[in-house]
Amino acid sequence: MLEVIKSGLETSIQDWPGRQGYLKCGFPWSGPMDHWSFRLANVLVGNAPGTAGLECQFIGPSLRFTADAVFALTGADMQAKLDGVPVPTWESVAAKAGQVLEMTFPKVGARAYFAIAGGIENEVFFGSRATFNKGGLGGMGGHSIKVGQTLPVGTGGNGVAGRRVKPEARPVFVTDKRWNVEVCAGPNDDWIDEAGQQRFLTTDWKLSSKSDRGGFRLEGPEWTFTDKAHNKLPEHGSDPANIVDHGYPLGAINLAGQTPIILVNDWPDGGGFINPYTVPGCAFWKLGQSKPGEIYHFQQISVTEAQAAARRITALCTESSIETL
Amino acid sequence: MAHEIELMTAGNMWKVLVKPGDAVKAGDTLFIMEVMKMEVPHEAPADGTVSAVNISEGEEGLDAGFVAVVID
Repeated sequence: MLEVIKSGLETSIQDWPGRQGYLKCGFPWSGPMDHWSFRLANVLVGNAPGTAGLECQFIGPSLRFTADAVFALTGADMQAKLDGVPVPTWESVAAKAGQVLEMTFPKVGARAYFAIAGGIENEVFFGSRATFNKGGLGGMGGHSIKVGQTLPVGTGGNGVAGRRVKPEARPVFVTDKRWNVEVCAGPNDDWIDEAGQQRFLTTDWKLSSKSDRGGFRLEGPEWTFTDKAHNKLPEHGSDPANIVDHGYPLGAINLAGQTPIILVNDWPDGGGFINPYTVPGCAFWKLGQSKPGEIYHFQQISVTEAQAAARRITALCTESSIETL
Repeated sequence: MAHEIELMTAGNMWKVLVKPGDAVKAGDTLFIMEVMKMEVPHEAPADGTVSAVNISEGEEGLDAGFVAVVID
């Protein structure tokens, strides 16, 4: 088990790909934002892909191991220490019962991932252990971890220390605060005029601090629309960005009036605003590792290219990416 | 020995709880940032006296690593 000494900043239990199949009931997938790093953490400690671990964001937790364990940290380097000794990221590490893992904050990136051999075995809720904090579902009592809680760990782990993710198999985080993020056009790109589309793809969009795991709010110029947005049936609504309520895909860039909001892992499943572009799953790790104030430049790719990129990531999240020290 | 308290993350300054001349103890909250709709308290690493406060409430777009408070 793991005792929570410090909780960090809404540190949450997540699994990948999260709570699938219940979007029609209003339950988003949740799961890790940077699923590339998360999946590799599980590979490092010998866990099956769907095993639950921790997403640590901005400020990491402090945890005490109640039994000998093998764990791994991937994603952003939160300057972790085990009983005061620095812990490498992207490696499996052995911990003894009683030792304390302390994490602080990342200098680059935003989210670190913790996997432990055997996995975290909190209650399964609707097919997943993932935390949907706003909905009060999954995780520990429906929420992120809290000081004083004990996180159950599975007993079937067969982790081995001294395994490392090959450098070429890891995502590379930017250090200049500027992210090139892939987008696919649609589903409502035909509501934005040519000038608006060009403006979207050439602007430096700033990630607002008024963002969370439900939506990433962007700051930038005004949008302009096609006739379709202005001359429409009244049931669509009065704003050019209004449309008859429809489903929102994960990654949709949802245009709330003039404010674009990328709908991320804990996203609302539908509503009455258009979604001119969508960030595909292959680019989500970039969203997960960016901080408020950082800049997104969007690059349009085809759905076929996005699917190919997702397959490349999946191929990297396997034993073939591991080397033994 | 002076302690420089750097911002842990980019974000906005929600509350500043100390001013120059204040005596603080290790673990006292000095200021609270807002990031991703969450509060990020920053604590004093040691006992001492606040000698500089370089941030103010309501500031936006602050960068991680900025020295916000100095304790002597």
